[in-house]
Amino acid sequence: MTERHGSDVESLEAGSVDSVKADEKAESNGQARARRKPQISDTPPPPPPAPTLADYEPIIGKSQVDELRFVARPLQGKRVKMVNSTAVGGGVAEMLNRLVPLLDELGVKTGWEVITGGNDFFEVTKGFHNALHGADFKFTPAAREVFLRNNEQNRQRMTFDEDFVVIHDPQPAGLIASKSGNSHWVWRCHIDLSHPNPDVWSFLQPMVEKYDATVFSSPAFARRLSIPQALFYPCIDPLSDKNKDLDESYIQNVCDNFGIDRKRPIVTQISRFDRLKDPLGVIQAYKMAKKYVDFQLVLAGGGASDDPEGAAVLQEVNEAAGDDPDIIILDLPPWCALEINALQRASTIVVQKSLKEGFGLTVTEALWKGKPSIGSAVGGIPTQIIDKHTGALVHSVEGCAYQIRYLLTHPDFGAQLGKNGREHVKENFLMTTNARRWVLLLGILSGAPA
Amino acid sequence: MSSTTTAELRSARTPFEFKSAAPLLFIEREQARNIEELLEALRTCPDGSIFQHTFRTLEEHHFIKEGFSNDFAQWAYTDLREVGLGERLTGLDIREFTSIAKLRERLIQIVEEFREATPSAKDSVSKTPFYFCSSKITVLPTQRSATNVVEFIEGLKQVSLHSIHYHFIEARLRRELETNDFSIWLRRDLGMEKAAKQLNQIDIYTSTLEGVRRKIVQTLQNAA
Repeated sequence: MTERHGSDVESLEAGSVDSVKADEKAESNGQARARRKPQISDTPPPPPPAPTLADYEPIIGKSQVDELRFVARPLQGKRVKMVNSTAVGGGVAEMLNRLVPLLDELGVKTGWEVITGGNDFFEVTKGFHNALHGADFKFTPAAREVFLRNNEQNRQRMTFDEDFVVIHDPQPAGLIASKSGNSHWVWRCHIDLSHPNPDVWSFLQPMVEKYDATVFSSPAFARRLSIPQALFYPCIDPLSDKNKDLDESYIQNVCDNFGIDRKRPIVTQISRFDRLKDPLGVIQAYKMAKKYVDFQLVLAGGGASDDPEGAAVLQEVNEAAGDDPDIIILDLPPWCALEINALQRASTIVVQKSLKEGFGLTVTEALWKGKPSIGSAVGGIPTQIIDKHTGALVHSVEGCAYQIRYLLTHPDFGAQLGKNGREHVKENFLMTTNARRWVLLLGILSGAPA
Repeated sequence: MSSTTTAELRSARTPFEFKSAAPLLFIEREQARNIEELLEALRTCPDGSIFQHTFRTLEEHHFIKEGFSNDFAQWAYTDLREVGLGERLTGLDIREFTSIAKLRERLIQIVEEFREATPSAKDSVSKTPFYFCSSKITVLPTQRSATNVVEFIEGLKQVSLHSIHYHFIEARLRRELETNDFSIWLRRDLGMEKAAKQLNQIDIYTSTLEGVRRKIVQTLQNAA
């Protein structure tokens, strides 16, 4: 369900938001007042073609692209296989969709294979995933057998004659049994292993330590292991729909469609409707700050249509927002990348007031757009928001409210934070930096001379 | 139209070859939540960690103009919330060090002195540990070289900030000298003694690395 408050809806010129006339029928949704519903495309747009290295040159500069090409030179003709558990959906597949063609263009022949398995396997691996994040999990002999059997079946089906094999996450970790003397194997762990379920981790650790190296997204997510652990921060693609530059007219049309007044300040949180993202805390902060400064609050994200808990959180958010026309709540389907991009670009400030967070790529996206950003000091957010340098770190609703007030009334300071934030992302969290880290790591593992 | 100066015409005996450096970060075993653990880790961590959290972090945060000196200072301020320690560590100027061993000694000394002067600090515990990392550097050639000051200025404008950091800041560890690659070449190959000295006076802690690049270029344009 997608909701909106505010003014008339106008037609849009680009993206997946269709030209619409406002739904004239007010939708009560159990609230005290009527809300209008903007029209969002029911189907995802076709994926854009993968960019080439030359496309990144205007963004990161020729010197950086030249350096990337040089770093890859010792690996010319080498072959890499990436293996994960899903071809579509999820951050890993999204990242591989961009990384694989980039490595290929750099002369490192990179293939990508996806493991297969039945429902029982993916139920076990989902349980593993949650358990490695610290959730309770009963690790039965049957679960162990399902995991090992499916890994073995995939191992028999696949070949591993590449120079490098990169296994993503725990699901295919057992493929390491195919490691031969000449190849280098890397386990890329995208999840937080800081507080793993001991039963699951003690099962996985001996497998992991057979790899030549691991890669983690944060030092806080890593374990003490006997093999080298590289640090690759997660990254965003500056040329994806979520992050590419947009025409001003498109941004305006998205705001018009969603009933957002661009003449007044806009504070936005982009997140799933999930309690750990603390949308209710954001509304509280809005109410505190609103006593001093005028602005609109946009809470936009997804998760309410495919997740019962998400629907419940959305309901709570709607109730907390009440009939305040300056709180705009948008439940968007996953293919609304262009709309999310436009909302971030239209924002005066972007907030990420999570109670718990992975790396927090929505923060990366906001920083890339040069937005003054306020984020909780949890997960990977402090790596991105260096307090008072690239944004404002907060620890409470009150802190969030104060920073909203401060940044709305000190736009020059906000602009400096935004400028620094963009540079921070450019240096550390872009897809091209990720590609460079991969070629550096593979080069180090193979002992290739620089 | 400006006339060509003597300095512009002077040709170097050996060309300046611009290089760059690509770092890769690794997570090390050491972590610290309080001053005692910080001291212990400073004593035992690999040299690459001291390098990463002092020299390299300046490159990673090259866009920050002031108030960011090194990761240890930043952690002491924002996580351990020991402002006195943060200030002392911020005062550390990496340009005074030509070896990691001496820099490590100085870091340990600062923390020990603070611990002695501030007994209450032993009770401070950070919710966020200091995670020690290290970096492995791959040195890269660029396609730029210079045989005179005009070409040199042009090269400075074109190379990446990684290259500026490599030649201007990291060089002192490589050369074990309190100077940088640019100044050495200007003095040795072009006889530009004064400009070489002026480059060493540029304050890297009150400017972004892009700002440092601009100041280097400006100094050379004035000298040429």
